[in-house]
Amino acid sequence: MINIIGKRKYAYIFSGTLTVLSIFVLFFWGLKLGIDFKGGTLMEVQFVQDEVASETVPAENATPKENKEAPKEFHVPSREDVENKIKDIGLESLNVQESKDNVIVLKYLGSEENINEKVVEKLNEFDGKVELLRVDFIGSSISKQLKQNAIGALILAVIGIALYIAWSFRKISYPMASWQYGISAVIALAHDIVITLGVFVVLGKFFNIEVEASFIAALLTILGYSINDTIVVYDRIRENLTKSSKKEDFEVIVNKSILETMARSINTVMTVIIVLITIVLFGGDSIKYFSLAILIGVGFGAYSSVFVASALLVSNYNIEYKKKN
Amino acid sequence: MSIQNKIRLKFSLVVFLAIVSIVVAYPKTVGFMSPIFDFVNKAQINLGLDLQGGYRLEYEVDTSKIDENKKEEAVQAAQDVLERKVNATGTSEALIQAVAGNPPRIIIEYPGAKSAEDLKDLIKETPYLEFKEEKTEEEQKAEKEKFNEMLAPSNETSRKSAIDTLQKIKDGGDFVALAKEFNQDPGSKDTDGVLDFMKKGDLVPQFDEVLFNGNLKNGEFYPELVETDFGWHIIKKLEEKGEENNKEIKAQHILFSKQTADAYQDYWIWKETELTGKNLKDTAVVFTDQGVSEPQVQLKFDDEGAKLFAEITKRNMGKKVAIYLDNEIISAPVVQAEITAGEAVITGNFTVDEAKELKRRLNEGALPVPIKLVSQQSVGASLGKASLEKSLKAGVAGLAIVGIFMILYYRFFGFIATIALFIYSAMMISIFKLSGVVSDWPITLTLSGIAGFILSIGMAVDANVLIFERIKEELRDGRGLESAINEGFRRAWPSIRDGNYSTILTSMILIWMGTGFVKGFAVILTIGVALSMFTAIILVRIILQFVIGDWIAKRLWLVIRTDSKKK
Repeated sequence: MINIIGKRKYAYIFSGTLTVLSIFVLFFWGLKLGIDFKGGTLMEVQFVQDEVASETVPAENATPKENKEAPKEFHVPSREDVENKIKDIGLESLNVQESKDNVIVLKYLGSEENINEKVVEKLNEFDGKVELLRVDFIGSSISKQLKQNAIGALILAVIGIALYIAWSFRKISYPMASWQYGISAVIALAHDIVITLGVFVVLGKFFNIEVEASFIAALLTILGYSINDTIVVYDRIRENLTKSSKKEDFEVIVNKSILETMARSINTVMTVIIVLITIVLFGGDSIKYFSLAILIGVGFGAYSSVFVASALLVSNYNIEYKKKN
Repeated sequence: MSIQNKIRLKFSLVVFLAIVSIVVAYPKTVGFMSPIFDFVNKAQINLGLDLQGGYRLEYEVDTSKIDENKKEEAVQAAQDVLERKVNATGTSEALIQAVAGNPPRIIIEYPGAKSAEDLKDLIKETPYLEFKEEKTEEEQKAEKEKFNEMLAPSNETSRKSAIDTLQKIKDGGDFVALAKEFNQDPGSKDTDGVLDFMKKGDLVPQFDEVLFNGNLKNGEFYPELVETDFGWHIIKKLEEKGEENNKEIKAQHILFSKQTADAYQDYWIWKETELTGKNLKDTAVVFTDQGVSEPQVQLKFDDEGAKLFAEITKRNMGKKVAIYLDNEIISAPVVQAEITAGEAVITGNFTVDEAKELKRRLNEGALPVPIKLVSQQSVGASLGKASLEKSLKAGVAGLAIVGIFMILYYRFFGFIATIALFIYSAMMISIFKLSGVVSDWPITLTLSGIAGFILSIGMAVDANVLIFERIKEELRDGRGLESAINEGFRRAWPSIRDGNYSTILTSMILIWMGTGFVKGFAVILTIGVALSMFTAIILVRIILQFVIGDWIAKRLWLVIRTDSKKK
């Protein structure tokens, strides 16, 4: 039989390092909050050739070669062009990105509506027509409310999950008190959430990926889903404890329970990971990072149900056992 | 009924349910039977703005200045005005709703290809018209004092800077350079504080006194600060000409200005009345003196407005009444008589065109309360379609890969689970489509909802994984197939229940707290998790009971790796 629990030292080092690093970057760099939480605008515009304008290209001003191409091509402004054009407006944390099909994505903070008008006005100064594919504008009163709601939801979820764990483990009492199971499970959950946060701090720092309201939904989904793996393993520990003769070592029982539930743990997470990967690969931008967050959290959740939640039980047991003897 | 018949009946129900769901979800399956197709095809998924294009504008209504019991009415009036604007853009199918709260909000939603910008422009030019009257003298006095108190700190800074500058001059500082730097007198800004020749009496008394009675020689500055209503001056005499009464003096000064409440009179003498743009019935451009004079905009009030205006004019006889347009005062005539005819005119130095423009804006509806755009989501139809296609692709891919995975790993059982998963997907789509038909609560499918749906596909098979693993264990322990299946379902149930409860719990919190994206996701995920418990447990069990028999017991490799059984 493979001894997984026996190798928990390495898991502790791995998880401990990641958790400490995550907390560290969270405090020093912080999450990069997006417009949902700060108020601002996301604008996706497409530059399309203005038919009237292309027909009236003055021929005498163009060299023959240019003249040939003039009706077919028009100058599509690049990222730099757009940045230079609108820099006078003084937009806070402006981020311009080029996308395919002459699409430019602009993101900036600012909760005044008329800023958007100024931007559109400036963009209209380029050749061709500007089509607004998408405008997301969040004013400051809405973003404040979203922030409050997000904090409220997280607090509520933590309380809810804590109550839920207390209820789930009410029957387990031997050889550890049921609250010991609860605490180990909560530590494992915190581990999943903190590491997910850490990953997004890094993504924000180096890839400019911002955290929106959807990220809170992702965190709550992780909380709700990851606790399952732990519950299943604990359920099996409970079952094996009642079946076993009391002489059997706790560590051995936990290890056995982990191995017995390993296939199902891997497979349940696998199916969820499969669908999340398809969303990350095929889905649009707005659900991509949302799914990525769940993917990371659920992945670490599967790992932590074994290597954190169950391993901690054994460690705690050993400490108590040594005290008694 | 025998057990066999019971199983057969249940299985027929499952087949029936599956067929109905598939037909509703994908009507083209019955495309050859046009009456049924037409009937079923009526039910469509209610797509969110992000998938079909459209916009959602959220306006905040500022009711802070309105009496508590009048607030609802004001919001309603604002909503009516917005409705008129929306209809003017030819988008009558837009949904306009007021959301109570503090502050209340009005939300305009329009699904379709039209741009939100036209409507926004139109709404933006909606005038906000109010009538204000003078506060009582005591109130004005109190307000004025408040204003003066507010201005005191900045005045003190100004005075201190004057003292410092005077000291610098006394210490030999360059008067011209300092005047260039500090002089705040708008009249002599360009001349560095140099004033032209002035006679006695041309200037404010304190200034006059220093120049004409201060015994200053040419080129000499007055060693004290001189305080006037404008602020604190440092004065230097440059030259003089003429004698006695004809004496004229040229001087240079540095003014450190002082602000007084009088300059901000408009901010503190007015108070709101109940008369606003909501009481407007009609407006017209009129000319006195047969069109020779400047144009005026005539306002005609409704009955309530006429009554209010009569009261206002009666109690403000001889005082001013201000007409505010978009928070700016445009005219403040003195009331000559009580006006009971329900008419008023705005004279505001208009050109004819301006007067006509104002008339048009007022006739299209004036707002009784200021409103402000606080959020906008607009998505072009093409982008919405692309998002829908992308996410559908992700959904189909997810469904297919999960199915393949389940079949490869759990073989025959996986095949049954995949069938159940397809039925699950068809049922979910049917629920989306029928929610609007059978209830008043149509489910709107947004991009995040699709993400929730796809995620639920992954979670739906969790229950099957738990059950199948358990069945395999029971088989390894030497149980017969049928009994292993029963035991597997029974023993896996607590884990399935616990697992799904926690997901539903967090989804409920999201529905309760969230808006937009978050809510769309959580609603679908909750429905999905609840429904998948039914399909993954009950449907799979019924199907298994029906198809399992001796034939499969003899071919156990379809269920489990047989070599592991030998072990």
